[in-house]
Order: sequence, then C-alpha cells, then structure tokens
Amino acid sequence: MGIAQEFTKGLWKEIPPFRLVLGLCPTLAVTTAGENGVGMGLATTFVLVFSNLLISMMRKFIPNKVRIAAYIVIIASFVVIVELIMQAYVYPLYKVLGIFIPLIVVNCIILGRAEAFASKNKILPSIADGLGMGIGFTISLTVLGSIREMIGNGTLFGVHVMWSSFEPFSIMLKPPGAFLCLGLILGLMNLISARQKGH
Amino acid sequence: MRDLIKMVVILTAICGTSGLVLSYTNQATKAPREYQLLKYVEGPSIKAVLDGYDNDPIKDKIVLKMGKDQKGKPILKNIFPAKKGGRIVGLAYDSVATGYHGPIDVMVGFDTTGKIFGISIMTHTETPGLGARIVEPAFTKQFKGFTLSNDLNLTSKGGKIDSVSGATHSSEGTVEAVRKALELFPAVKKEVG
Repeated sequence: MGIAQEFTKGLWKEIPPFRLVLGLCPTLAVTTAGENGVGMGLATTFVLVFSNLLISMMRKFIPNKVRIAAYIVIIASFVVIVELIMQAYVYPLYKVLGIFIPLIVVNCIILGRAEAFASKNKILPSIADGLGMGIGFTISLTVLGSIREMIGNGTLFGVHVMWSSFEPFSIMLKPPGAFLCLGLILGLMNLISARQKGH
Repeated sequence: MRDLIKMVVILTAICGTSGLVLSYTNQATKAPREYQLLKYVEGPSIKAVLDGYDNDPIKDKIVLKMGKDQKGKPILKNIFPAKKGGRIVGLAYDSVATGYHGPIDVMVGFDTTGKIFGISIMTHTETPGLGARIVEPAFTKQFKGFTLSNDLNLTSKGGKIDSVSGATHSSEGTVEAVRKALELFPAVKKEVG
C-alpha cells in the first residue's frame, strides 16, 4: 500500500471507534460536547503520530522481549508532554477532559498501532498511519460530541443552533446517550458499506 | 546473557531519555501553567474584588515573603496589584479562616488607603444551601468600605455585618478571614509601596 492509502484507511475503512471499535472508553466518556471531542482527538493524534514515529525509528533496536515495556514508556512520555502543554495553554479544556488525558496511555488504539503497524513498517508509512488514525479518531469524536451536544443541550460548539422552543434531551449528555449515539452511527456505517458492496 | 544485557541497556536508555525530555518540558511549561492556574482558579475572584484598572493583575503579581511556617521556610504570598496608567490603584490577596466544615478562602480587594473594595469567596466546603450561601452577593457586598474596626463583626457581636441565616459559623469564618487580610494590609502596603 502507498503512503496515501495508509493515511486514508484511518478515515473510513479502519476508522478507529466505528470500524475497529477501539478506544471506546474516551469515545464514550468525553464526547458530551463537540469541543471536547476535538480536544481529545487532537491530543490522541499528537501522541499517536509521535509514538508511531519513534517506535518505527527504533524498531530494529528494541529487543522483542521488552518491546511492550519500551512502547509504553515512549507512549507515556508523549502523554505527559501533551498533558503539560494542555495545562499550560488550554486550561479550561484540560479541566474538562480531566482524567482522560493521562488515560490516553492505555488507549488501545495507540498501543495497537505501535504493535500492529509501527513496529513492522518504515518511518513514513508509520507517520501516515498515525496521522490517519488520529484524524479518523478526531472526526469520530467530534461527530459524536456534536450530535450529543446538539440534541442534549441545543448548542453546537457552544453556539445555539436549535429552534427556541426546543427542549433538550438531557439523556444524550449522560452515558446512555453515548451508547445510543455510537450504536446508531455504527449501524449507519454498516448500512452504507453494505450498499456499496451491492448487497 | 548478551540478550539480557542488551534488553537492560536499551530499556534503561529509553527510560533515561524519556526522563530528560519530561523534566525539560516540565521546566519549559512551568511559568505558563502557574499563570493559567491562577487565571482560572483565582482570576474570577480577583476580577470581582478590583475595579478601574487597565493591567493584568495576575501577570503583575507580586510575591511577598510573609512570616515563616513551622519548618522555618518563608511563606510566599501572591499579591495582585490593580494598576491604572502604571500607578497602583488597588491590591487584592487571599486570606484563609476556618468555617463550619473547613477552610474558607476569601479574596479581598483593597483600595490604596486600606479600605475594602470587595470580597469574593474562592473556595469553601460549607453546607450546601446553608453555609454555602456566604458566596452570595447579598452577604459579600456588606464588606465594602470597611476598615479594621469593631463594626467589622457580625451583628450578634455588636458589628454591622448581617450573618447568613442559619450559618453563623460560616459567616464568622468569612469575617475572620477578612479581618486577617485587613491586619496584613499595612505590612503588604509597606512592601508594595
């Protein structure tokens, strides 16, 4: 596969939360608003790209037996860097995302890409893979967050978008709303794929 | 055996590098992180207790050494100056006293003569619906214009501050914190100039 394909596969064919159904913990927990989705997605993308880059660079030096430990150290370092940067420059977002920023360490998308892709491929495809997966994750979280924010609060990125007599469904901001929304999107994507295949 | 040494060396190298990078990032982001923390935690209170300034009190904060703690280390206190055209027109700093459940942290704003311009409760752990009502303007507005005098007491003690009904301890704690802040003012003023 070419580099472009490595990048685009993360956007539709293997889009993380919907197709690989990975990384559901932050997906369900932080998507109460569109803005949170973007923030979480970008933070994850940053970690994903740099950990992929480093792991791909060092794939020939890291002994097989300690590879997971090495990956975790690399991933954890980038997560702490993201956390410090967010604390320094986007404090309100840092406050909202809270515990889910440090928890990026155990996000299985990142370790999954490190183990399944970056440890076996050259640097450029690894970056493309990380970037594609990261952007796919960001889009998923943003879409999910926007839908939940719109129905659950009547706003989109903090701006009122629903008609004035609209009564928000606050269940959409609660955990059941996250499952409802995720399930519907998954179903819709499966439907579209099935149509494309001509079934 | 060679494998083992290789594993140890490489893992150690990775961990060591990561430690270096992280300590550097920590240093590099220290100042903006402290600023953001003050801006979002104490900022709203500072804004509420100062007026008529054109600077950023958090950026211009003055750190004073106020006494010593039990271990003999100096206690650092953040003083937030309100300036207009470069001249100080007011000062704000926080003060803590014990309420009913725990510490009440009050931000107190002064004009240059030492009169209270306003107070704002930053953090407290008082009972919701009772003691927690000390944050309401109906209570905090009463402090405006006071200096250290007998009037600055609850009405039950012969002063002029009406306590929040059903929350005498919380109200007393607030008054206590404000009195402490006022007692500090001459020293602060001397240092700040």
